Amino acid sequence: MSPARPVARVRVPLTVVLSFAVVALVLSWSLVPDLFTGQDPARGVPADKFRGPSGAHWFGTDHLGRDLFSRVVHGTASSVTSALIAVGIAVVVGGLFGLLAGFLGGWTDTVLARLVDVLLAIPEFLLAVVVVSALGFQTINAAVAVGVSAVGVFARVMRSEVLGTRRAVFVEASYLQGGSRWHILVRHVLPNASRSLASLAVLQFGYSILLIAALAFLGFGDPPPASDWGLLVSVGKDYPLAPWLVYAPALVMIATVLSVNRISRWLRKTD
Amino acid sequence: MNRHYANYAVRRVMQAVVVIVLAYVFTFVVISVLPGDPVTSTLRNPQNGFTEEEITRIVAYYGLDRPVYEQLWQAFSRFVTGDLGVSLRSGLPVSRMIGEVLPSTLVLAASALAVALVLAFAIALGTRYLPKRYGQGVLRAFPSLFLSVPNFVIGLLLIQVFAFQLGLFRVIDAEGSLATFFAAVALGIPVSARVTEVLIANLDHEAGQEYASVARSRGLGRTRLFVRHLLKPSSLPVVTVIALVVGELLGGAVITEQIFGRTGIGSLVQRSVTTQDLPVLQAIVALAAVVFVVVNLFADLVYPLLDPRVKPGEVRTRVRAEVAAS
Amino acid sequence: MAPQDRLTLDRAEPQAAPVREPGSLLRAADLSVSYGHHQVVSGVGFGLSHGESLALIGESGSGKSTIARAVLRLGTGRASGRVEFEGQDILSLPERRFRPLRGRRIGFVPQDPGSSLNAVRTIGSQAQEAAALTGERGTAQRKELVLQTFAQVGLDDPRRVYDSYPHQLSGGMLQRVLIGLTVLPRPALIVADEPTSALDVTIQKRILDLLSELRRDLGISLLLITHDLAIAAEHADSLVVLKDGVVQDAGPTTAVFSAPESDYTRRLHADVPALNPDRYRHLRTRRGGEPKIEVSGVTKVFTVEGKPLTAVDDVSFTVAAGTTHALVGESGSGKTTIVRLLLGLEEPGTGGITVAGEEVTGRSHASLRSIRRHLQLVYQNPFTSLDPTWKVERLVREPLDRFGVGTRQERTDRVRAALESVGLEENLLSRRPAALSGGQRQRVAIARSLVLRPDIIVLDEPTSALDVSVQAGIVEVLVSLQAELGLTYVFVSHDLALVRQLADTVSVLRRGRIVESGTVQSVFDSPQQTYTRTLVDSIPQGFA
Repeated sequence: MSPARPVARVRVPLTVVLSFAVVALVLSWSLVPDLFTGQDPARGVPADKFRGPSGAHWFGTDHLGRDLFSRVVHGTASSVTSALIAVGIAVVVGGLFGLLAGFLGGWTDTVLARLVDVLLAIPEFLLAVVVVSALGFQTINAAVAVGVSAVGVFARVMRSEVLGTRRAVFVEASYLQGGSRWHILVRHVLPNASRSLASLAVLQFGYSILLIAALAFLGFGDPPPASDWGLLVSVGKDYPLAPWLVYAPALVMIATVLSVNRISRWLRKTD
Repeated sequence: MNRHYANYAVRRVMQAVVVIVLAYVFTFVVISVLPGDPVTSTLRNPQNGFTEEEITRIVAYYGLDRPVYEQLWQAFSRFVTGDLGVSLRSGLPVSRMIGEVLPSTLVLAASALAVALVLAFAIALGTRYLPKRYGQGVLRAFPSLFLSVPNFVIGLLLIQVFAFQLGLFRVIDAEGSLATFFAAVALGIPVSARVTEVLIANLDHEAGQEYASVARSRGLGRTRLFVRHLLKPSSLPVVTVIALVVGELLGGAVITEQIFGRTGIGSLVQRSVTTQDLPVLQAIVALAAVVFVVVNLFADLVYPLLDPRVKPGEVRTRVRAEVAAS
Repeated sequence: MAPQDRLTLDRAEPQAAPVREPGSLLRAADLSVSYGHHQVVSGVGFGLSHGESLALIGESGSGKSTIARAVLRLGTGRASGRVEFEGQDILSLPERRFRPLRGRRIGFVPQDPGSSLNAVRTIGSQAQEAAALTGERGTAQRKELVLQTFAQVGLDDPRRVYDSYPHQLSGGMLQRVLIGLTVLPRPALIVADEPTSALDVTIQKRILDLLSELRRDLGISLLLITHDLAIAAEHADSLVVLKDGVVQDAGPTTAVFSAPESDYTRRLHADVPALNPDRYRHLRTRRGGEPKIEVSGVTKVFTVEGKPLTAVDDVSFTVAAGTTHALVGESGSGKTTIVRLLLGLEEPGTGGITVAGEEVTGRSHASLRSIRRHLQLVYQNPFTSLDPTWKVERLVREPLDRFGVGTRQERTDRVRAALESVGLEENLLSRRPAALSGGQRQRVAIARSLVLRPDIIVLDEPTSALDVSVQAGIVEVLVSLQAELGLTYVFVSHDLALVRQLADTVSVLRRGRIVESGTVQSVFDSPQQTYTRTLVDSIPQGFA
C-alpha cells in the first residue's frame, strides 16, 4: 500500500514574509499611530516649512511646517480602515448575492444576475463618485461607495464557485447519504466556494486602498487637515519644488498595495 | 452551431436591453433618493441665483413635483430619444455638454487602450523569449507592479519628469499630441496590467498543453511554435478582456483628465459633482453603462465566431474566471 | 548482474534475427533525470535495435514518461548520462543540432489525442508541418502526401478529416491522425507514450494493431511506454520494468515474463487482471440468494441540444443477493445512467426498479431515504468524491450523522472499524483528502459506504483512475468484504479483464441496450453476439 503523502511543510518565500511585515507595520500605524511618531500631524512650525527628508523629519515637512511622516502615519487609519470596510461590504453583500443566485437558481438567479450585470456595467470609479456625492464628502462614505461598486465582482465569483461546487461529485455523494439541502449548503458548498474568495478579497483590499486614495485625491474624502494618503498627494502636487510631498505618501501607498498583492498571489498559489 | 448561435445571440441581446434599462433606473434611483433633496436645495440656494420663474420651469421640466415613478418614466423616455435633460447649473442641454467634451475623452481612451495592448503584448512576448535570467522574474513582476501604483501617481510622475524636468511637452497645451500621449500612458498602464496577466497566464497554459509538445516533436522551433500555435489561442480571450476593461478606462479617465488638465468627460464629472449638477451626472453614468453593455455585447457575440473551442454560452464564465483570478 | 548493467538485449532466437548489432538504434546508459532537487529517473539503461519494439513498463511515478520525453528532449527536467541514437549521443547535442532529428528520425505519438492537436487550427494546417519534414516544398504536394497517409492509417474520408477541426473528430480518429503524421516522414524510431490509454477498449486494440502493422511494413522501431503489462507482452519484443525511476527488470518479453528477476515484477504480474483471471476464485463462494435487485424494461431518454438521446433502452437484469453483477460497456453505453437510475437520482421513462423488495421508481427523495441506508454508491473518481475541506473522520462519519444512527461514541467506533476493514491506519482519521494518495482516498470512499452497513454497494468504475497495483489492493478489499459480510455488488466497468476476475454475472451494454447477459463464465468463454466477441477479443492475452 502506497504511503500517504507527507503533510507539506509550508515554505514561505522571502517576498511574502516581507509583504506580511509591511502590512503588519501599516496596520499598526492605523491602530496606534502615536507609537510611531511623537510629532503633531495637524500643527507645525511654519519656520520649518518645505524642509526635505532628514533625521528630524523622516519624510520632510509640508507647506505649513508639519512633519510629513507623522501626517502619513496618522492618515493611515482612515486610508486603511476605509479599505477594510469597503472589502467587508463587497465580500458580505456580494458573497450573499452570489450564494443565493448560485444555490437557489431559477428566477432568483436570473434577477440577481441582471442586478449584478448593472453593477458591473457602471465603471467602478464612476459609481463610487456618484455614491460619494449622494452620501457626502467623507472618507467613510468613500469606503461605502467603493464597497458598493465592488459587490458585483464578488457576487459573480461567488456565484460561479457555488455553481461549480453544486455540481461536484462530493455534493451528490452527501445527498445520497442523507444530507439535506441546508446541510449541503452550509457544510459543503460554503466552505469550498469561499476558498477562492480569500485571495480575491485580499486583492480587492489593495485595490480599494487605491480607489479611496483616488477619491481623496479628487477631494471627495475627508477635507483638510485630514491626512488621507490621496489627499496628501493632491495637496503635495501643487508644490513641485518639494517633490517629497508627493513621493512619500505615494511610496507608502505603493509599498502597501504591492505587499497586499504579493500576499494575494501567494494565497492563490497555496490553494 | 448556427441555430444554437442564433438562440444565444437573441438571448444575449435581450439581456443587454434589460441591463441597460435597469442601469438607468439604478442611477436614477440612487441620485433621486439622495437625502436632503439636493436638487431643490440647489435651486433654492440664493447663492445660485435662480429666479422664481426658472425654478418653476425646471421643476415642471423634471416633474419634481410629481411622484418618483412618473419622473422616472419621463426621464427614461427622454433618454431613449437622446434627450439627456438640462443642466441645473448652465441651463444647457446635457447632450450638448457631453457632446462637446466627449471627443477628447474618446481620443484619450483609444490611445490608452492602444498603449495598454502594445505594452501587454511586449511584456508577454518577453516572458516567452528572453533568457530565463532576464525574462522571467523581472517581467512577470511588472503587471503586479502596475496594479500597485495609483494612476494619479503615474500621471504626476510623468508630468514631473517629462514636462517639468525634460520640457518635452507643456501642461498648458493639454490637448496637444505629446501631452495626449503621456496622458494615454498614464491611463493605459494600469489597464495594461490586466491584459498582460491574462495573456501571460494563457501563454503559460497553452505552452504547457500537450499539443505544444506534440508540435515540437514535429520539429518546430520556438518561433514557429509561438506564431503558429500559441499566439492565436492565447490572444483570443484578450478580446473579451478589452470589453471588460472599458469601465476601467472610463473611470480612470476622470482622474487622468484632472491631472493633465484636459477637458473631457472626467472634468465634466468633477464639475458636476462639486456643483451637485445631478442631471449631468446621471446622464454620464447612464451613458457609461450603455457603452459598457454594448461593447461587451459585441465581444460576446463575436468571440464564439473567432474561437472554435468555445460554445456560445461559455464565453463569459471562461474569461471572467481568468480575469477574476488575475 | 544487476538489471541496469544489461545494456544489450539478446534475442530469443538469434538465428531468425537479421544480422544487426543489438541496441544499434537507441541505447541509453546511466540515464538520470531530475526536476530541481527531485530525482525522477536514476541510472536507467536499455537498448533497442532496428526494427524492434521495446516497452517501458511502470506505474505512475515510475519515470517512464520522463524517459520518453528525455529521448525526444521535450521534457523540462535536467538529464544526465548517455542516450545514443544511431551512434550519436543526443543528450549532449545543442538544440539546433538536435531539432532536425525530431520528427524526421524520431517520432512521437502522445497519450491523449483530444488535447494533442491545436484546437483553433484545422487538422490540415497542422498536418502540413509534418509533411514539411519530408522536404517537399509545395502546399499541394504536401497535402497529397498527407491524404495518402490518412488513407494508410485507415481513415475513411481523408479530405474531410483534412479540413476538420480537432473537436469534430472522435478520439480514435484523432489518434489515427496523430499516428499518420508521425509515420509520414518515415522516422527510424517512434516513441509512443501510452498511445491507447485514453481510448475505448475496442479502439485500443485496433490502434495497437495499426501501430504493429505500420512497424512491420515500414521497418520502424517502437519505444512503447505503457502501464499495461499485458499490452506490452502482446506488442513488444523486449521489456524494461521501472519503479520509482529505477530499472527492476529488463530483457526479452518471454524471459521477463516466465522468470522475472525482481519481486516488483512478480507482484506486478500478479496484479494485472488480464493475466490472472482466477485470482479471486477462492474468495468467491457464490451465495446466490433471492434477487436483491430487479430491473425490468427500463428506458431513459434525455434531451440534448433539443434532440432526444436514448441513454438506456429497455434494460432488464437481476442481481442475486451476495453476488457481484457487472455492467460492462464502452463510453456512451449507458452504464452510468443505469447507476443513477438505480440510486433514484434519475427517473426512468418507462419500466421499474425494485431494490430489496421495495420499488425505487416514482418515489420522492424523502421516501427514498429508507432505501438509501441499504444501497450505497462508490464513485469512480476518488479525487472529486470527497469534500477536500473535510477531514477523513468526518467524511466517513457523515452517513451516520445524517441518518442519526447511534450515539456519538458508537459512531466513532463504527468509523474506526470501517477504516480498519479497508486496510487504512487510524492516524489518517485527522487528515484531509489532499494528504492521501488516490488508492487511500478510494478506500476512504469505500469505508464511507460501509459505515451504514448496507446490503448493496454500487461501484461505478471504482478503480479506473488508479494504478494497477493499487487497483489490485482495492479489489482484494472489496472481494474479502463481500465474502465476510455477504454484500451484493453492482460493478460497473469498461475493463473486461477485471470483470472476469471478480464478477459472477454480467450484462454487456452497447448504446443503451443490453447486448448479452449471463454468467461471467458463459459470456466470456462462449460469447453469442459479435460485439461481445469483439470485446472479449480485445482483452490482451499476454501470451495466449
